[in-house]
Formats: sequence, C-alpha cells, structure tokens
Amino acid sequence: MPTLANMTLQLGTDFNSILNIVWLLSFFVFIVYGQRIQIYIVANDISRALNRLKLMKDKSRKEAVDYFVASGKTTADPAAKIDEFLEYVTIMPVDLDPNGIVGKIEHITQTRDERVRSEVKRILPGAEPVKVSVAENILEIASSLNMIHKIVRHYYLLGKKTNSYILLVQLQMIMPQVLLEADALINAVDTFKLGQPVGDGIGPIIASKYMYGLPKQTVAKDTVMSVTEYKGRTLYVLKAEGPMGYVGEPGIGIQKVIEEMKIPLNAIIMVDAALKLEGEKTGDVAEGIGAAIGGIGTDKFRIEQVSSAHKVPVYAILVKQSILEAITVMRKDITDASDKVHKLIGDLIEEQTKEGDKVLLAGIGNSLGVGQ
Amino acid sequence: MSTPPAPAQSPSQTTQGKSKFSVFTIEECPACGQKTKRAFQVGDYITKDGAKCTKCGNTTRMTLIYAEPTVKAK
Ligand SMILES: [Zn+2]
Repeated sequence: MPTLANMTLQLGTDFNSILNIVWLLSFFVFIVYGQRIQIYIVANDISRALNRLKLMKDKSRKEAVDYFVASGKTTADPAAKIDEFLEYVTIMPVDLDPNGIVGKIEHITQTRDERVRSEVKRILPGAEPVKVSVAENILEIASSLNMIHKIVRHYYLLGKKTNSYILLVQLQMIMPQVLLEADALINAVDTFKLGQPVGDGIGPIIASKYMYGLPKQTVAKDTVMSVTEYKGRTLYVLKAEGPMGYVGEPGIGIQKVIEEMKIPLNAIIMVDAALKLEGEKTGDVAEGIGAAIGGIGTDKFRIEQVSSAHKVPVYAILVKQSILEAITVMRKDITDASDKVHKLIGDLIEEQTKEGDKVLLAGIGNSLGVGQ
Repeated sequence: MSTPPAPAQSPSQTTQGKSKFSVFTIEECPACGQKTKRAFQVGDYITKDGAKCTKCGNTTRMTLIYAEPTVKAK
C-alpha cells in the first residue's frame, strides 16, 4: 500500500501526472467558462456571415447607383437619393381590429410603389418604362439586402451585449438560410440590369402566347388583358404588362373583370411559379385548386373574395423552382415545362368547362423581358 | 432601347453562385416555323420582332429566352 508521502513523491516526479492535472484543470475551465467560450465561437461565426451580408449590401447599393448613372441623364447625384430610399420604411396598419386590414395594407403598398416610381422617374427624366421598372426592381433588391443586414446586425449586437447564448445560437442556426436568400437577391441584380426574364416570369410567358397580336386593354395598374377564343370558349388572358419588370395587380384586374365588366366567368386558371421543396426538381409542374399568387396577400385576398362571392372555381398550375431560380435569369428547365403547362390548360378548359363558357387565364409573376 | 448600361461581361454570359450560364434567345418564324437560337442581346424580349427568317424572309419573333449551363469547349 502506497503511503501519502509516497504519492506526493510520485506526483512530483511523474510527467504523466502533470498532464493529468492539466487535463483536470481544463475540465474545470470548460465547466465554468464553457458557455463563454461557445458564445465567443458562435459570435465569431455570425460576425463572418455579417461581413458577407455587408459586402452584398454595399454591392447592391453600388449596382443601383451605377444603373442610374449609366441609364442616361440623372437630375442630381443619385447616390444621395438612393441612400434615402434604402432607409425608407413602410409602416404596416394596426392589426388589433383586423376587419378591413387587407384594404389598408393594399393602400399602403400602392402608395409606396407609386412613390418609388415617381421618385425614379424624377431621377431619370424621360427614361423608357423598361428602365424605370428595372431601376425600381434593383432599388427593391438593395433595400431588402439593407434590411436583412440591419436586422441580423441588430440581433448579433444585442446577443453580444447581453451575453445571450440562446439569442446568438438561434441567429447562427438561421444564418445559412439568410445567406442563401441574400445570395439569391444579389445574383438577381445582374438579371434585372440586363432585362432578362426571370424564373418567376413563367406565368407571363405562358399568358403571352395567347395574347400575341391581339388588342390589349388595361384592367388594373400595369396589368393588361386580351380576349381570344379557345375551342368554343371565350378566353380572357391577363398578365402584367411587359417587357417591363412589373408584377401588376391581378387581384384588382380579376375583380374588375367579374364585377365591373360583368363578365360571368365559369372558371379562373392561374399559372404561377412556386417555391420547390428541397429534393423536388426544377420545372416540375403541379396542379391544384385555389389562388396561385404570392406577394403580401392582397391580390390573393381579392381573388378569393370575388371568386367565392360569384362561385367561380379557381384552378392553379404551379411551376416549381428555387428562390434563386425564381429571381434570376430563366432556366431552360423551367421553360421546358411550358408544353406541359399549355397541355394542362387545354385539358382543364375542356374538362371543366363547356362550349360557350367564359374562362379567365392569369399568368402571374414578374413580366420582365416578356412582352405580349 | 437606346444606350444600355455597359455590362461588365457579355450580356449572354452570367454566373449564378458557382455555375456559369449562357443566355440564349430563340427566334421563331411564324410562317415556316424555323427556329434560330442565338446569344441574348440587351433589349431582347419575348414577343419582340427578330431578324428576317433565313429560309423564307418573314420577320421572326422572339419566343423564348432562357439560360443553359455553359459547357466548356475543351
Ligand atoms: Zn420562315
């Protein structure tokens, strides 16, 4: 049996024992300071992502300024005006009493869009509508990136300030998705600058095929409609006016067709791009029921309201794509879906309506680079 | 469209993330149906009138604009 004296002697001389003590000590350090160390690592991680967001934000701002400068005579230094835009806030209406809130939201977003367009027109007097619309889109991208950067920075600094491990870890967990979205936005700038159709434009591309060469009437802001005939049915085709980068107001357009123009529709068919789930193939076509339209929800609300009030069935045809593909240049995989979509439209019309019926086809999406 | 913004690279080339894409415009002749595929140029848009058809001389129409992954020549 080793005596106590024997043991201390052993500790003093054995190198292994020193290692043991170090190991024990580090164990102690990790128990006491473990979270601090983790906070440090997590914060470092976020700070790197934040730097990337800042680069993207600055790049989009520079692209916006360059676009204005390159687009001909600008009235004043566009940079100052653009910086003002990036800080522009939209105050959403109070939702304590939600009755009628959609109308209020619509009014606010319309006012904002109107304001942005008139400002762009002021900076670029006499510019063609396509350029004005592209400038609007680029400004929107820049202000989105500005907002994303600001919010992430807010939570990062708040987490560091309050030493909140939970807050920082939550932020770290969603960072990859945030970066993915920011990446899609910054890539979209190139497509918009060149006026190329985006993946989201598949709806307008489908609609334009039925509208080409026909007279057009404006049924809502930036939204045009043509009347044609398909196998004995009257076909009303609606899309945002191209080749400008507009999304139009299809909700108001469809409402006007039914309520103001008093056209007794028998069916509404909506074609739109839809976000695919991971693992789904780009260009997959899905069929369904209901208003296929994204955005803040005002158009969807109007379509649902008017179609249910007048008992018009709404059919949806969706073309799957990722967020990156939806806002960057149209991929071949997506246009390859056109034939299938046209066939589905034909089948729907033939199966769900009869000769003499009236059908409305709406191509939903951004119509940049897609005329009619 | 008049003066387009000077692109840093050719308008028919684009990079999305890690992949490179070439953008093409398809011009279709409404009379004989001949399709021509050429590189995208700024100002192209779907339904715009294109060049004269090489087969029958009719004015073609741009029917499609899309991007394909660039395949390296070598
Ligand atoms: Zn021809």
